[in-house]
Amino acid sequence: MDKSNPSARNEGSVDTSTLVSEDGKNMKSVVCQRCGSKVLCPGMAIFAEKELFLPSMRKKTTINQSDGTLDGDTLTAHWLVDDMYTFENVGFTKDVGKVKYLICADCEIGPIGWHNLDDQKTFYVALDRVDHE
Amino acid sequence: MDPRCDVQRGGSTGGSSGDSSAASRRRKVPPRPADCKLQVIIIGSRGVGKTSLMERFTDDTFCEACKSTVGVDFKIKTVELRGLKIRLQIWDTAGQERFNSITSAYYRGAKGIVLVYDITKQETFDDLPKWMKMIDKYASEDAELLLVGNKLDCEADRVITRQQAERFAARVSGLRFCEASAKDNFNVDEIFLKLVDDILSKMPLEVPRRELSNSILSLQPEPDVPPELPPPRMRCC
Repeated sequence: MDKSNPSARNEGSVDTSTLVSEDGKNMKSVVCQRCGSKVLCPGMAIFAEKELFLPSMRKKTTINQSDGTLDGDTLTAHWLVDDMYTFENVGFTKDVGKVKYLICADCEIGPIGWHNLDDQKTFYVALDRVDHE
Repeated sequence: MDPRCDVQRGGSTGGSSGDSSAASRRRKVPPRPADCKLQVIIIGSRGVGKTSLMERFTDDTFCEACKSTVGVDFKIKTVELRGLKIRLQIWDTAGQERFNSITSAYYRGAKGIVLVYDITKQETFDDLPKWMKMIDKYASEDAELLLVGNKLDCEADRVITRQQAERFAARVSGLRFCEASAKDNFNVDEIFLKLVDDILSKMPLEVPRRELSNSILSLQPEPDVPPELPPPRMRCC
C-alpha cells in the first residue's frame, strides 16, 4: 500500500457511473483493496448516500496523540445491505460505542464499512475503501 | 451485536428491497443468495492460536505479530460445498478464555464448535475437560465438535502426542480430532470444510431441500459422495 497516496481523502474520485446499475445496485464485485478478498457479489448491495465518519485505514492507531481526535474521513458513497449474510466475506469489530466497523475478513484491513447496533438492517461499505472488479 | 442471532436459513438475503420493481428485472439473473447459514465458534485456552486459525481459513494472511486479538468480533465467510453456498458466521472467543467468561449465548446458536489446544503446551490440553463441560452445559446437542491440536509447525516442542489426543477424543462421542498449523496453513481449510461437511451430513434431508427450493441456481441434486476436500494449500510465504 502506497502511504503517500491519500486516495481515501479524494472522495468523488470514484466514478459511480461504472459501478452502479440502473436499478441502483453494484454492477461489480466489491473486493478488498489490499488482499482482493471478495466482500460482496455483484447485484447484492444498493448504492446509498449517507455521511459517515470512518477512522483512517492507514495507521495502526488513529487516535491523534496530541489532541485525542480521531483521524479519518467523512464518506458519503456507500454500498448498503440489509442482512449481514449478504456478505461473501467480512469481519466485524467489537463494539465502538453503538457502532461496529466492518473490516476485510481475510487481511483485516479497515474500517471499510459501518454498522449501527441500533439498526440491525443496515450495513454500509464505503466505495472509497474497497475496489471493484 | 448479539451472538444469539438466529441461524437463519435460505431465502431473503439482502439486496432485496424494492420488491415492487422486482418483476421488471426478471430478465437479469438474480444474485445467488446463500443456501445455508451456519454459526461456528472457536474456543480453547489462551494462546492456542484460535485467531490464527480463523484468519488462515481463506488466505495467506498469517501474521507473526498477531499475538493477541484486538477488536475483531466475528466474521462472515463463504464456502461452497456439495453444490451449496454456505455462509459461516465464525466467532473467535479470544480474550475470553476464562471458561466462565464466554457467555452461554456463544454456544447456544453454534452448529459447529472448534476446540483448540496447543500441542506444545500441556496446560492447554489439560484444560480440555473443562471446555467439554462448557460445551455439554451450553451447546446444542447436535452441534458438530472438532478437536484441533494446533501449532504442528512446532513439532520439536511437542508435549502432547497425537495418540494422547486421539484417546481423549475417543472418549467423547462425536468428537473428531485433527492436528493443524495455522502458521504453515496446514489442515486449516480442511478443518472448516470438514466441519461444514459434517454439519451438512447431520442436517435433516428436508432442510437442504427447502434451501434449494429457495435458490433457483442450486437445483442440482446433492452428490451421493461427499466432495473431495481440496489438497492442502502450498505454503506461500
